[in-house]
Amino acid sequence: MSKHKIVGKPIPRYDARAKVTGSLKYADDFILPGMLYGKVLRSIYPAAKILSIDTTEAKRLEGVKAVLTAKDVPNNETVTRFGQSTEVGKGFEGLYRVLADKKVRFMGEAVALVAAETEEIAEQALDLIKVNYEPLPGVFDPEEAMKPGAYLVGESGSNIIGEFGCSQGDVEKGFAESDVIIEDTYRVTFQDHAFMEPESGISWIDDYGVLNIRVSSQVIEHFRDVADVLGIPHNKVRYIGTIMGGGFGGKEDITVESYLALLTWYTKKPVRLVYNRDETFMCHSKRHPFVMKYKVGAKKDGKLVALEAELIGDSGGYPYLSAWVTLYATVNAAGPYVVPNVKVKADVVLTNNTFTSANRGFGAPQPNVAYESIMDELSRKLNIDPVEMRRINCITTGGALSTTGQVFNTYVAFPEAAEKAWEALGEPSDSEDENIKVGRGLAVGLMSYGRMTFLHDTSRCYVKLESDGSVLIRSGIPDLGAGQISLLCQIVAEELGVPMSKIRIYHSDTALTPLAGTTTATRQCYMSGNATLKAAREVRSRILKKAVEILNVNEGNLDIVDENVVVTYDPSQYVSLNKVVKACDTAGIELFCEAQFNAPFTPVPDLSNIRGTTHPDFTFGAQSAEVTVDIETGQVKVNKIVTCYDVGKAINKAAVEGQMEGGSIYGMGYALYEDYQLEKGVPKTLSFAEYRIPSSLDVPEVETILIESGGGLGPYGAKGIGEPACSIIAPALINAVYDAVGVRIKSLPITPDKILKALKEKSL
Amino acid sequence: MHTNTRILANKFEYFAPKSLAEALNLLEQYQEKNIKVLAGGTDLLVKMKTVDLNVDYLMYLKDIAELNFINTSNGLSIGATIPFSHIVKEDRIKTEYTALYEAIQAIAAPAIRNMGTIAGNIGNASPAADTVPALVAFDAQVLIENKQSKRTVLLKDIFLGPGKTLLRPDELITRIEVPQVKPNTGSAFIKKSRVKADLAKINLAVAVQRNGQNCEDCKIVFGSVAATVVRAENTEKLLKGKALTEELISQAAQGVADEIKPIDDIRSTAEYRIAMSREMLRDALNLAWARTYSEAKPNLKGGGE
Amino acid sequence: MKKIPIKFTINGQQREALVQPNDLLINLLRDELYLTGTKYGCGIGECGACTVFLDDELVLACLILAVTVDGKEITTIEGLARGKELHPMQISFLKNAAVQCGFCTPGMIMTAISLMKENPDPSEEEIREYMRGNICRCTGYTQIIKAIKEYAHSMKG
Ligand SMILES: Cc1cc2nc3c(=O)[nH]c(=O)nc-3n(C[C@H](O)[C@H](O)[C@H](O)COP(=O)(O)OP(=O)(O)OC[C@H]3O[C@@H](n4cnc5c(N)ncnc54)[C@H](O)[C@@H]3O)c2cc1C
Ligand code: FES
Ligand code: FES
Repeated sequence: MSKHKIVGKPIPRYDARAKVTGSLKYADDFILPGMLYGKVLRSIYPAAKILSIDTTEAKRLEGVKAVLTAKDVPNNETVTRFGQSTEVGKGFEGLYRVLADKKVRFMGEAVALVAAETEEIAEQALDLIKVNYEPLPGVFDPEEAMKPGAYLVGESGSNIIGEFGCSQGDVEKGFAESDVIIEDTYRVTFQDHAFMEPESGISWIDDYGVLNIRVSSQVIEHFRDVADVLGIPHNKVRYIGTIMGGGFGGKEDITVESYLALLTWYTKKPVRLVYNRDETFMCHSKRHPFVMKYKVGAKKDGKLVALEAELIGDSGGYPYLSAWVTLYATVNAAGPYVVPNVKVKADVVLTNNTFTSANRGFGAPQPNVAYESIMDELSRKLNIDPVEMRRINCITTGGALSTTGQVFNTYVAFPEAAEKAWEALGEPSDSEDENIKVGRGLAVGLMSYGRMTFLHDTSRCYVKLESDGSVLIRSGIPDLGAGQISLLCQIVAEELGVPMSKIRIYHSDTALTPLAGTTTATRQCYMSGNATLKAAREVRSRILKKAVEILNVNEGNLDIVDENVVVTYDPSQYVSLNKVVKACDTAGIELFCEAQFNAPFTPVPDLSNIRGTTHPDFTFGAQSAEVTVDIETGQVKVNKIVTCYDVGKAINKAAVEGQMEGGSIYGMGYALYEDYQLEKGVPKTLSFAEYRIPSSLDVPEVETILIESGGGLGPYGAKGIGEPACSIIAPALINAVYDAVGVRIKSLPITPDKILKALKEKSL
Repeated sequence: MHTNTRILANKFEYFAPKSLAEALNLLEQYQEKNIKVLAGGTDLLVKMKTVDLNVDYLMYLKDIAELNFINTSNGLSIGATIPFSHIVKEDRIKTEYTALYEAIQAIAAPAIRNMGTIAGNIGNASPAADTVPALVAFDAQVLIENKQSKRTVLLKDIFLGPGKTLLRPDELITRIEVPQVKPNTGSAFIKKSRVKADLAKINLAVAVQRNGQNCEDCKIVFGSVAATVVRAENTEKLLKGKALTEELISQAAQGVADEIKPIDDIRSTAEYRIAMSREMLRDALNLAWARTYSEAKPNLKGGGE
Repeated sequence: MKKIPIKFTINGQQREALVQPNDLLINLLRDELYLTGTKYGCGIGECGACTVFLDDELVLACLILAVTVDGKEITTIEGLARGKELHPMQISFLKNAAVQCGFCTPGMIMTAISLMKENPDPSEEEIREYMRGNICRCTGYTQIIKAIKEYAHSMKG
């Protein structure tokens, strides 16, 4: 098809009307008769032994229907699985416990569950549960936790839970050949997802004894994990995924579901459980803090020669997705650069901090902060323009990652993205105040879309053309607010030539919709988009075949436009879609199809030296920013952000731009404000007053530039954008601050306090 | 220990008196029975949800029509329950009490300003309260009443520490009185926060009365640097009666940090606050000075920076 | 604790309810009246997801005792549309792709409408200023600001 009818248009979302009228029912908006209220008792220590738990009094309280502890959980030790079909080995098993047993590993860990007739009673019952703790010393710094003799967070003999590496060439030789070497340590901190909708869900047992959970989750495949926790067959648990009020990776691990399942299983009653905001902050994963020791050497002409990186990630109290995130960080450690000699080593370590797991960008944003700071240093040292520096060093089409050697045969948008992002900044602003300095920064980066290829990812979708010409889609796709379901509708609208208004999608129901896999890893446009395209094209071809008989024209000369099958070279010849559908019905031709799309499958890599393909493909981009820095107050104001990505093809332009704008601000928050602080494992920032995310007043307008190379693996050549969109802005801001005032902030967030301190040290 | 912000778990008996007399009667009657008064609720309900603050009796003030007023004819007389957003609608607040105007506009967001009150800002006794430095700079007094008597207290003397005032359990703030500003007075309020709609890391109100090139009188009041609001009296003295030259302002800025001795906390460090106090004082003095003769043009942006 | 009868107008309709003194307006709306468009995001005034109109002024339903709305008029997001016809601000949000996950949307729209009442022709700076108590994690605000600007523009002309 040459011209798209609806793909590429900025159409309003499928679900937007229900959202502006307030009628959309999120997970917390559902009420069932006789429903109980669930609550979780949480540990008040980051590290402690649980000597005993006494629930007698709580159980006696009128209105309390269940009080559960670890001993009531049939399978309490569990691993996070995400619907992958392969055995990926021990190294990737995200072990955790449903309820703390004997030992507490982070503050806020779930210790007991309550279900009661009202939320107030549930609250009172929590007060009546007596937990006898013996506080333990704990360990809160990953570097400390790695040392021999350190406090052991879990039961195994070491806190190190993942070790990754990759290398090429000979770094020693490379450094010897370098004219300049930059060696430094960069630190990034915990970031919370701060989605607006707290974790929430409701559960009940249906007429046939099936446990139903209606929940805000990015991964409905967790129904299997919940069944395993209860020790019941997988087909006795059904997940109904709701439209989410944001997720960003924070609803990727199980949140409320096991608790709901247990409480409903024991009481046989519907239970609703929603986290408080402070509970949300304390009890779900964070972005991994990393300590990143980098050494990079270059020639006088700017050419990179060697890069050595040592990364240490903080996993917090349990592994969860730490190993996976660290693998991403390892693969991304050299960025999109050609470096002949590379050596990367990454460790991820348990501590008694809040656990860390997936957060938009996975392991890509952290090393990006380090290597893009260094690229900026190098370009200044060597007096090479920042765009030129990228021109000299970025990989281009046909090139390969310097970490793993993964080759890119489709378009690599370098240096194009860097050039465009930089140029769009325009003329620098003037400052009338001599204390207010203007600075500009550039950064480039890459991030994968689609899951790691050794997970053997698949997605399925069912498309049906009804006899009246309306369309039904069934897909297990969870929608976290980025427009996932709308996207599938749009693809079907394009292929079947029907308006969006005639399409209905049933989504994210493990009993009724074909499983589409997780809404994580920026995989849905690619995976479920392709599955949907495949199903829709099959239905389309059956329609066209029938139309060939009616119109007596070759199939190749037919298209479906506005509910008519038309002859492309003579639009006056057509037959209505309805007529063709009727003809198909009469002939017994099925107008439905369930299709499966498979990502490329690769073997599990050697983790100590990862080589070759680990991801289906990557999205490339660049961001630039202009800031002003007040040298008297250290205050940073962002004047402008430009975001430029090769999105392959923007299927819904408004949605893609929305991802790029929102992603930029998500990353800007990470860079400038957001800091989930703990003091010896005790979280200190448990509200929006303490954990500040950007407000409308703090942010500039974001300018988006789309490159549409068509080189993506998704439908119509689309690439994924959700996570890449937030992964590059932080170093652009660091570099802009440096440009303004000549100090380089090497630990996020870039606070006024740090800037002033650095300015003071510089002037000494 | 755990908090619940979805519900108000605390059970209490509720009163909503319609007159001041009725309210004072209730306070008298329940003063020993853990009674609290509720105005906008933007502090009290937050605390009842998040910290161990339990009340047995709660008395709602906003049904008392006689406390919902503002009078600007001779100085300011502000009733206990009038919300912030109604106060700033009065023209004189902007033109004559500019620092107060700016302080109110710097508070949170419109919805909070429709709910919150100055009496609540005072009653809550947070060191970060935004209206307090401004009101202290204007020599505000607080009218406190119980069933038997009334007393007037200088606002700056009302605070005993974070969350603590000298109010007795049977007493109510009924009114805030601010003297008429002297002619040729200008004022300014500056707040520094992490993001704009945020509690202050440090805030400052300055009021300057001008006589030719001289600073006839001035008030310098910092918030969020110590347990209670801090007046920099030595610095004020330094400036009084002198020509307000750039040099003098610099001298004042240098000295002010020693005087106010800021603290460390989650929002900021002492070091940062010291650096900030200097710059803020310089800016606030200049702003206030510029407003001494001209019609005030307050910084309508509000919010922190 | 004894229950207290209250009367109020909700989205143009007279209602009565029996409430406990510690019941919050947000829960009265959501759990009793099933008006779940008003969202819980933080419960302590920091996110704006629960913004509603109380006697035509913006307030946060998470910090209001239900008893105190006796005799008052409340408008929630569900009260904006006239039958099938959306409020023009809702339409502007739709047209400008100002809605992603939608969880902040009801509060945003209420606040935006209030801004228009107070200041029908706001500058971008004034819009950003007024909206600062409503946080959105998805959009980065660009499209939201655009939607409000466009609405203001359409009202002028
Ligand atoms: C999200 C958010 C942001 C905020 N941002 C700011 C900010 O930027 N700057 C700032 O200064 N404040 C801020 N606040 C705090 C709060 O809004 C103010 O302190 C407000 O002035 C409190 O007034 P209120 O009427 O709501 O008080 P309430 O909560 O009703 O009462 C507060 C205290 O004062 C007592 N009290 C109230 N009225 C009287 C009276 N007449 N006599 C005696 N005692 C009384 C109450 O018993 C209670 O102890 C914020 C609050 C929230 C929730
Ligand atoms: S829920 Fe009311 S402001 Fe967040
Ligand atoms: S659209 Fe998701 S929070 Fe605003």
